[in-house]
Amino acid sequence: MLDKNKIFVLALSVMVIFSLFLVGCGQANNVVEDEGNTVENSEPVENSAPNENEAAEENADMDEPEAEEAMEPVVISYWHTMSDAETAQLDNVIAAFEEQNPDITVEPTRYAYDDFKQAILTGLASGGAPDTARMDIAWVSEFADQGALMQLDGVMDDFDDLAASTFAGPLSTNYWQGHYYGLPQNTNTQVLLWNTEDFEAASAEVPTTMDEFAAVACELTSGEEQYGYALGGTYFWAPAPIFYAMGGKVVDDEITTATGYINGPESVEAFSLLVDLYNQGCISPNLLGGGIGTADGHATGLYAMIIDGPWMVDIYKGNYPDFEVNFALIPTGADGTTSSVVGGEDAVVFEGSENPEAAMKWLAFLLSEESQLMMAEVGVIPTLSGLIGNPALPEYFDIFLQQLETAQARVPHPAWSDMDNAINNAFQRALRGEQTVQEALDQAAAEINDLLN
Amino acid sequence: MTLSTKKLRQIGIALIFILPALLLFSPFVIIPMAYSFRISFYDWNIVKPELSEWVGLQNYLDALKDPIFQRAALNTGMYAVVTVPAQIVLGLMVAVLLNQDIRSKALFRVLYYLPVITSWVVVSLLFEYMFSGQAGLINYVLRDVLHVVDKNILWLADPILTFVPIHLLGIWKGVGWTAVITLAGLQAIPENIYEAAEVDGASPVQRFFNITVPLLRPTLVFEVVVLTIGALNAYISNLLITNGGDPLDRTHFILTLMYEATFGRLDFGSGAAISYLLTFVVFIISIIQIQLLQKQVEY
Amino acid sequence: MSQKRERRIRKIITYTLLIFGLVIVVVPFWYMLITSLKPQAFIFEMPPRLWPAEVTLKNYIEALGKDYFGLYFLNSLFVASITTVTTIFVSSMLAYAFARLEFPGKKFLFYIFLLGMMIPPVMLIIPQFIVAKHLDLLEKFTGLILVYVTMNISMQTFLLRGFFEGIPKDLEDAALIDGASNWTIFWKVIFPLSRPGIAVVTIFTFLYSWEEFPWAHVAIKETTKRTLPIAIALFQGQHLTEWGQVFAASLVSLVPVVIVFVLFQRHFIQGITTTGLKG
Repeated sequence: MLDKNKIFVLALSVMVIFSLFLVGCGQANNVVEDEGNTVENSEPVENSAPNENEAAEENADMDEPEAEEAMEPVVISYWHTMSDAETAQLDNVIAAFEEQNPDITVEPTRYAYDDFKQAILTGLASGGAPDTARMDIAWVSEFADQGALMQLDGVMDDFDDLAASTFAGPLSTNYWQGHYYGLPQNTNTQVLLWNTEDFEAASAEVPTTMDEFAAVACELTSGEEQYGYALGGTYFWAPAPIFYAMGGKVVDDEITTATGYINGPESVEAFSLLVDLYNQGCISPNLLGGGIGTADGHATGLYAMIIDGPWMVDIYKGNYPDFEVNFALIPTGADGTTSSVVGGEDAVVFEGSENPEAAMKWLAFLLSEESQLMMAEVGVIPTLSGLIGNPALPEYFDIFLQQLETAQARVPHPAWSDMDNAINNAFQRALRGEQTVQEALDQAAAEINDLLN
Repeated sequence: MTLSTKKLRQIGIALIFILPALLLFSPFVIIPMAYSFRISFYDWNIVKPELSEWVGLQNYLDALKDPIFQRAALNTGMYAVVTVPAQIVLGLMVAVLLNQDIRSKALFRVLYYLPVITSWVVVSLLFEYMFSGQAGLINYVLRDVLHVVDKNILWLADPILTFVPIHLLGIWKGVGWTAVITLAGLQAIPENIYEAAEVDGASPVQRFFNITVPLLRPTLVFEVVVLTIGALNAYISNLLITNGGDPLDRTHFILTLMYEATFGRLDFGSGAAISYLLTFVVFIISIIQIQLLQKQVEY
Repeated sequence: MSQKRERRIRKIITYTLLIFGLVIVVVPFWYMLITSLKPQAFIFEMPPRLWPAEVTLKNYIEALGKDYFGLYFLNSLFVASITTVTTIFVSSMLAYAFARLEFPGKKFLFYIFLLGMMIPPVMLIIPQFIVAKHLDLLEKFTGLILVYVTMNISMQTFLLRGFFEGIPKDLEDAALIDGASNWTIFWKVIFPLSRPGIAVVTIFTFLYSWEEFPWAHVAIKETTKRTLPIAIALFQGQHLTEWGQVFAASLVSLVPVVIVFVLFQRHFIQGITTTGLKG
């Protein structure tokens, strides 16, 4: 018995020492800084009632020292899924905000991207929703429809000015049934990436029209060694830039029907282009699932062209430091115009917030030039149209800002994920030869119409 | 009718042993179960629950009529039928082997147990990586080493083939678990019974089937029940490898469907209904299994 | 002579089979290990190599050096240990009641606990969150521990009940005749004899708490209190998964669980129960 206990204690101590060592190795600064934040935020707030999700923390930290401020600071929670670099920069943004608003403290919480929606829903269902959050643009209409978000137009100071200062595409993602439920915090779009080596080896030219694109894709394909083009998958986001550039539309502007839109001639042409290229072997089979990702394939020369977003710059810097990335606008469709799809995140305020004025002030700051330029330093594209050409922005932003002028948002409707699924399945059926492109899109149109009613 | 003091005393004693578990179980399992059960009868509104509409059995009926649900049920059933027996049989084999008089037992045990203690997320990603249609280890072995196939198999793009990595993953991950538990069960069988049988002239095979297997009954029952429940409840590996039913919603398991309903479409009522349909089936199967396989073990 | 030969052949077969099975079991881990030692550029190289051409420790340095990795590690250690000890006591007591005591509603109660094992845990998270909130258990380790213990009760009790039932009653009958109370019998007789069962419970409960993610993700938001699986989840970026780092972090987080396993699997001592029977 003694032996077993001894060994157990020994092993336990080894593990504890090992982890203390790890803690020491980790950046001690951040740990300390966060401890500081924790202490700060637990000041008992008297008049302004704390948010429900702060209550638990307060009770736990009742032993913490009280603040001696004349004004009691109000605490605003802010949930997000920022990357490491962005999270670090966020602290600076918060510091700047708190300096200008000493009566407000912002408390951020970072969540894992894949489980963020679940976290928000859990919070909502239990009355523990945050005051504010940075959420995917596609979710805003969904949550607004559930009554979870606070209407901002007509309620928030300077809303109209703020809205007018942003790009139209990103702004439109906040619109639902006559009102705005958020503001675009950061945006992005997709452009064409082309691999220098592959192009030079074949003496090929970067395509500017869709016809050139289709030709070059096949020119640069050789068996399984190299593919001219690769898509990330069949979910709508992947073919969307080409779809929009060729004039495709999912539904009409009033979002009442899909007939004649998703299965209209331009949409059919766009998807036919992709399906034909796939059948000719010019598009990598990875899009059906389980292959080499576009990011990795592009950097290794396997995929001569991909369509992707600004995050690729940092990703390549970190993972393929020798790779030189090149951007170009999405090739133009039949009418000579380019387009792409809008991505990004919107900042929202939740309905149950106990401090809506403070929350809105935080939102306004997130949309200020100061904050947007700070986040631009870590690769986040601003939503303020006035910042186009601003010298403080990284150079590679130029092409994205340019593309954003014509980029379109996906359908801002609560049932969007089901619509996405319908289009996704249609694309799959067409690729697998189970249906022609027209048949597949007709079915998608019928399914989307069901969702709209 | 008064309770005899003896009975009261019995209840009192039993209560002492039961109380801690009950105190935890009630708030954290019973109440949540009742809550979700209630939700399954509503078109639930998460933000303003008071606005939820009563729909009775509609959520249940919609699920049962949905061809995607039916396919998911089939997929889930197949998964259980394939992975549970495989884990039991392989686990038993490994346990018997490990129970022999061999050296480095501890090392073998640890290595066989490694898959069990790796997280589902990591293992799913690992298998996804190995079964990659373009640069995976499996394709390499099949095509370039064994020359069994002449083209890369796009495992994850095919609604049926994608289950090969998912099933293999489930079996691979579970064998160590079954082996460990069976091993513990084997240890509890006293040596002298084997010795007595050997003296009586029983062969190893006879000893195995007439002594080992019957005496392992409680252990095996436990394993079958738990593995079946686990298999019917599987979802993480499927979610990560198929991204939720791809392609074409043909590869769902029941729980990935429930996950999509609840967190994808915010349809909590539907998600709750699907969960309870599954729970009901699991419950029935478990009871049947326990009744069928349970027998008193006499020495 | 032939008996010795027979035993030797048996041994050779045993070893061969075990090693063959071992290769199948270990190959994925080997793959994980060598991938964790590769720079990202080589993650998808074909043909796959047995040992990477370029070995780097960059993934480990980056993954472990990330701000909170060590802290999350400690937190997980704390939560997992307390959960394990608590679960052992709670479920063995309950298992004893089911295995040896008689009381009204016993079968009914057993099935209730069994039912708890069958409902998908994912479905329970939201109501559990509401309950935890009312009990003021959020943002605290206690909240994690209590829920983890609860989620383990059903299975561990079921397991232990099986073990307890397998213990011959002679010892207890003797003790009862001597006037021992149920409590004494439980602690002095049953518990010590169930070492294999308790060992298994320890291993599995520790594992569960060590790698649990969905509850930990929502129940604790404060960065300093989070657990290890969350750290690993944060490696999966929206746009690119840094496989090398994910695998490096995963391999490191395997270590404590392996240690627990190694420590406790020594307790599968054969034939404990027989020694009490003879004579």
